[in-house]
Amino acid sequence: MKLELHRVKIHKLAWGKETSARDGLLTVNKEELLTMLRKDERLAKVDLDFASPGESVRILPVKDVVEPRYKMEGPGGVFPGMVSDVETVGEGKTLVLSGAAVVTTGKIVRFQEGIIDMKGPGAEYTPFSRTCNIVVILENTEDLDKHDYETACRMAGLKTAAYLARKCLGAAVDSVETYETPNLKDAMAAHEGLPKVAYLYMLQSQGLLHDTYLYGVDVKKILPTLLNPTEVMDGAIVSGNCVSACDKNNTYSHQNNPIIHQMFKRHGKDFNFLGCIVTNENVTLADKKRCSSYSINLAKTLGVDGLLISEEGFGNPDADLIMNCWKAERAGIKTTLLTDEYAGQDGASQSLADSTPEGDACVTAGNANEVVVLPPMDKVIGVPEEANVIAGGWQGSLAEDGTITVELQAILGATSELGFTKLGCYTI
Amino acid sequence: MSCRRLLITNNPFLSKNISCSLPVEGTSLDVLRITREHVHGGWAVLSSPLYGNLRPHQHPYRSVLIEKSESQSGEVDLLSLELIENALLIYTSQEFSILSSEGMPEEVREDFACIDAELMKETLERYRLFPRQGMEGRYL
Repeated sequence: MKLELHRVKIHKLAWGKETSARDGLLTVNKEELLTMLRKDERLAKVDLDFASPGESVRILPVKDVVEPRYKMEGPGGVFPGMVSDVETVGEGKTLVLSGAAVVTTGKIVRFQEGIIDMKGPGAEYTPFSRTCNIVVILENTEDLDKHDYETACRMAGLKTAAYLARKCLGAAVDSVETYETPNLKDAMAAHEGLPKVAYLYMLQSQGLLHDTYLYGVDVKKILPTLLNPTEVMDGAIVSGNCVSACDKNNTYSHQNNPIIHQMFKRHGKDFNFLGCIVTNENVTLADKKRCSSYSINLAKTLGVDGLLISEEGFGNPDADLIMNCWKAERAGIKTTLLTDEYAGQDGASQSLADSTPEGDACVTAGNANEVVVLPPMDKVIGVPEEANVIAGGWQGSLAEDGTITVELQAILGATSELGFTKLGCYTI
Repeated sequence: MSCRRLLITNNPFLSKNISCSLPVEGTSLDVLRITREHVHGGWAVLSSPLYGNLRPHQHPYRSVLIEKSESQSGEVDLLSLELIENALLIYTSQEFSILSSEGMPEEVREDFACIDAELMKETLERYRLFPRQGMEGRYL
C-alpha cells in the first residue's frame, strides 16, 4: 500500500466568496458551508467562527478536532463509513490542509468536553493552539435524543473537514510525504536482523460519548484486527468521544498519530514495523479478557518481538492496558506502554488503576490532575460556564473576571496518550 | 425474586428499570463495598467496578453487574476480588471528596445518570438484563 499526503500549508484564515487555499491563506465561504451543515434537521442552530494562534480566544466545550483532508486519488474516500462509502482507504493521494483544524463545540452531556486557549499558559498545553481553527458551533433541537445529537455533532465536524479540503483540490501543494507498506509476505522477509515490531492501538469503546468508529463500525462490537497504518491517515478511525479532554484521542490526533509517524521513521533502521493491531476498551470483563487474548494472539501469529501499546482514557481501561501488557510479555513479546497519570493534584496518589510487574517499560504523557490557572481571554466561543462542570473543573472553576482554574484534564489533548501533546521530556 | 445476575447500583434510573437490581441508597463507595460483600459470598463481577475516564470525585453514580457462581462451594473468584479491591483502594483514598448526588440540580443528575446507564447498557444487553422500559429519553 502506498499513500501520498499532499500538504497545502495553511497559516491564515479569512471569510470570502469562494472556499479555496492560496499562499497559506484558507478562504472560507461561510454561507455555503452553513447551508450544507444546516441541512441536518437534528441541529437547531449552527454557526461558524475562527480562532487563530496567538489570538486572545478561548473555545469551550470542545467535542472534537478534525484535520481537513480529501482524496485526490482513491480508492475510497476520507472518513469511510462516515462521510464516504466504506471502501478501504490508505492508498493513492490525499490532500491535507496542514495547519488548519475543524473544531466542534456544543453542550451534549455536561462534564466531558474540553478547553482550547489560543494564547497564554493554557495554549502551552494544547496542540490546537497552534492550528488555524474553523470552529463549528452547534445547538441541538429540543428533546433530541443524546445519541442522535452526538452523531449530528460528529458528522458536522467530519463533513466540514471533508468540504474544506475538497474545495481546495487543485491548490498548490507545499510538500508531499510518501508512506509505503509492503504486503505481509514481503514485510516478513525484509530487514533481516532487525526486531519485528507492531503497534497495539487501543480505542475507547465504553458507550455513549465514549465510542470510536472504525470504517463506521462501533469498535466495541469488533474483535481486534489488523490495520494498515496508512488507513488511519485517511480517517479510517474516527472519534465519537467526549471523554476526558486531556487524553481522548480526537480525530485529528488519529489522523496525525505520532506513534505511527515515528514508527515509519525508524522502520528499517531500528526495527521492522509490521503494522497496527486495533483493539477496544469495553466495560464488560469478558470483553477485556477476550480482546486482550485475541490481540496478543494476533501479535504472536505475526511473530513480533515487540509491541508498542497505547491506551486511550483511564480508569477501567487501565485494566485492558495491563492485561495486554502481561499477556504479551508472558508470550515472550517485549512491550512498551504509553499512558498518562491521574496521581492527584499533589501527584502523590496511585497513577494507574491497575499494574503488573511485567509493565517495566512505560512512557507517561503527564499527570492530568496538575492544576493550572487560565487567565481571562478577550473572546470566548461557546459556553464559559461549562468550566464549572467539565471533567477537571469544579463548581467555582470559573471566576467572575473569566479566569478559569482547572486540572489539565480539562484541556484538550494536554496529556495525549498517542503523544500528540506539547508536554514532554527533552535531553539538554 | 431470585436472580442469578444482579445489578448493584445507586443510579435511580437503572434500579427503577432493571428488574434484577439491588438499589443502594448511598454513594458510589457504598456500591463498591456491597459488591465486595457479594464477591466474598461467591459472586463474580461481570463489569469492571471502575469507571472509565472519570475519577470518584467526578461522578455520583456507580453500577456493577455481578453473577452468582453455579458451583455450591462458595469459592471466591480471585480476579473479581482483585478488581474490587483495586477499585476500593482508589475510592477510599479519596473518600472525603467522593461526589454525592444529594443537592445536585436535576439536569446535572440526569446527565450523570445517563452516562452511568450508557456505560452499563452494552453489558446489560449482553447478559439479557433488558430494562423494563426503553433506555432512551429521560434518565431520571
